[in-house]
Amino acid sequence: MKIKLPMFPGRFREVLGLVLIFAAAAAFSPAGSGGENIFLQFDNLTDILRQQAEIGIIALAMTLVIIAGGIDLSVGSLLAFVASLAAMLLVKWQPGLGAGAHIAAALLAALAASALLGFLNGIVIARLRVQPFIVTLATMIGVRGLARWMTDNTNIDFGFGDNVSAKFADIFSEKLFVIGLWGAAALVFYVLLEFTVFGRHARAVGENEKTAGYTGLPIRRTKVLVYSLCGLAAGVAGLIHAARSYQGNPNDGVAYELDAIAAVVIGGTALAGGKGSIFGTVVGALIMGVLTNILRLRLIDTNVEFMIKAVIIVAAVWLQSARKPK
Amino acid sequence: MPAPASLSCRDITKRFDRTLALDRVCFDVRAGEVHALCGENGAGKSTLARVIAGVARPDSGEIFLDGARVEITGPARARALGIGIVFQELDLFNGLSIAENMALGHPRAEKAFVNRRALAAWSRPFLRRVGLQNADPLAPLAAQSIATAQLVAIARALALDARFLLLDEPTSSLTEDAAGHLLALVAELRAAGAGIVYVSHKMREIFRVADRVTVLRDGALVSTKNASGTSMDETVSLMVGRALDTAARIATTPRADIALEVENLCTRRLKNISVRVRRGEIVGVAGLVGAGRSTLGKALFGMEPWTGGRATLAGARFRPRSPDEAILAGLAYLPEDRRGQGLFLQTSVRHNASAAILCRLRRGPFVRRWQETKLVRDELEKTRAKIPSLAAPVSALSGGNQQKVLLAKWLLTRPALLYLDDPTRGVDIGAKADVYKLIAGLSAAGAGILLASSEMPELLRLAHRIIVLHEGRVTGVLDAATATQEEIMSLATGMREIKTQE
Repeated sequence: MKIKLPMFPGRFREVLGLVLIFAAAAAFSPAGSGGENIFLQFDNLTDILRQQAEIGIIALAMTLVIIAGGIDLSVGSLLAFVASLAAMLLVKWQPGLGAGAHIAAALLAALAASALLGFLNGIVIARLRVQPFIVTLATMIGVRGLARWMTDNTNIDFGFGDNVSAKFADIFSEKLFVIGLWGAAALVFYVLLEFTVFGRHARAVGENEKTAGYTGLPIRRTKVLVYSLCGLAAGVAGLIHAARSYQGNPNDGVAYELDAIAAVVIGGTALAGGKGSIFGTVVGALIMGVLTNILRLRLIDTNVEFMIKAVIIVAAVWLQSARKPK
Repeated sequence: MPAPASLSCRDITKRFDRTLALDRVCFDVRAGEVHALCGENGAGKSTLARVIAGVARPDSGEIFLDGARVEITGPARARALGIGIVFQELDLFNGLSIAENMALGHPRAEKAFVNRRALAAWSRPFLRRVGLQNADPLAPLAAQSIATAQLVAIARALALDARFLLLDEPTSSLTEDAAGHLLALVAELRAAGAGIVYVSHKMREIFRVADRVTVLRDGALVSTKNASGTSMDETVSLMVGRALDTAARIATTPRADIALEVENLCTRRLKNISVRVRRGEIVGVAGLVGAGRSTLGKALFGMEPWTGGRATLAGARFRPRSPDEAILAGLAYLPEDRRGQGLFLQTSVRHNASAAILCRLRRGPFVRRWQETKLVRDELEKTRAKIPSLAAPVSALSGGNQQKVLLAKWLLTRPALLYLDDPTRGVDIGAKADVYKLIAGLSAAGAGILLASSEMPELLRLAHRIIVLHEGRVTGVLDAATATQEEIMSLATGMREIKTQE
């Protein structure tokens, strides 16, 4: 049986799911003491953006990976690793620099480490031709171990007052900064995917690697770069995560990779590669965010939240595929 | 009335989309005979074999077994009726062992639980008959050569104890020795009373083993003759009998300077290929399936490692190790499989056309889109492609227009030499004429062109000279102005060889 969906013009179709969820959330929102709609409060809406920034940033890079025909399961572990590493460098390291230089050095080192791990993913996938699923699954396990070993499996708590780590947390948990970072990252990935030679190559490799080979495209270099960027994005998310939780916890970020993949596919990116958009992924992350937010405002059991999310993911992806003319 | 102890087809018609693959074909094979089925590429040989084996259902027509009408509804039904087939594209499973492959679908050997030792013992006598007495039945098929896999497929058919056996190009991947053994086996099976349909285009084999020879051409039956009452020459001329296009040859004049010179190029599958292409010259590359036409193109495009030989392209030493090196040196390869190798189907016309020249269109990391649009638009205009918009996905275009986009993609690299691998495959007549004009235009503009084609009239019409390949070797170089289809076919089937110096 073929169910006919109403047709919407161009871009608007991608936002349809978000509009529906948003409207439903506004309708089911609990009322505050003054009778106001809590969901629609400005602070609540910006909270959603801040809460989704970590997954949102990872999902941007995941979009690139998936469009290039791959997958990256290691991002959750990478996030925990970077959060822990940054915390150690901020709390335990005494470089004898000014606070600003100390923070900058710690961040650069942490981000370089995450980009390097992503680079290793890419090298193994592109050079040794092992499937991305396997390689990044191994990285997910290995890097989790690395993070726990490095921290003796303890949380590295940030200090207070004038401590360097506290200054870092102040900046990186600032709502405007976090939302701005997500926005800037989205813009960068959008430009990368739509306007650069590298973006063209990524799409080409993901749609048909054979044709890419017959076209003489740099398949391996493209893959390595894609996974490096994904590592870097997971690192940035890790910094935000550390600042928000005020610590480096080597056991955090579990299943983040799946949330990121969910946001990507809800946004209409094909898991088969070649097709997808950054815009869609941002919409996908927002759909997940609004859903989580309204369920928590209604004090729905977290376990029930999971079940509802499961249905929404399948429904959203079905909506994306059903409108495609065959 | 069909004879007893025979398998016979009457008026079999099979249509794929717009092409008529089989047009009211009648064919029969009797118990105790080998009946060869030959024809050019695309004549309908394999389709007929697939219809008899139940893999393809005919649109109309009847099949009789021992005089009684039968419905062959699927491969299992064919097996139950005692009809076995060995496909050209082997339908074996790499992950299973030799014996397991043989047992799949076998009514007695396939059981719910696998007893490996019993299975091995069961398979051995059949393997011995095909000459694989030394093979370990429990070894995985993935570890075997294609030739061994081919023989396993034949052993599997033997295990089914088929009364009628269809062999589709069974020797295409066998060495001379193994092929000889196989032909002896075919004779032995015939003596034991089996009826064998032997699909091949190798004349020598056919005339060694066949009792009768049927020729198909463009899906229609041309003739069925006793092997003793015909000859290789007659069979070849019946195979190609199609009249040459009435259209005049498209004449361009090659220039004096040389675009590409290849001397003694060897790869795993090519042996001592030498060819010289002048600027503005179109050199046809003829050969049957598996002769090495595509392999030659891939070798020149840096996709097949060279084991020997040397080449110069536009005066410079040329030995590409990857496609981008070949492209940079000035060689473009238009692959045979347009949809699988040539195009990104879901991607826009614009992005497809510019895919090979992005490195020349970049400013820093960015694509110069304005220049891209202009270049792509101009090139598509030259190819006379009908494109709804540059943003349309190529999958929305007809085969002919897709091919024009693909041509534009390669012409934009401004190649000194263009290797066209079957450029009019699956393209309708109108678009074909456009592609011909385009090729002639390229030649007039001074590009060297190697034109591989499975259609001889196309080569005779467009090429200045034709090199003919047979099993990875050049068996002759012909002047296209005087060559005939019969001549090409006799070289392509390995019946004859002309020694020439290039």
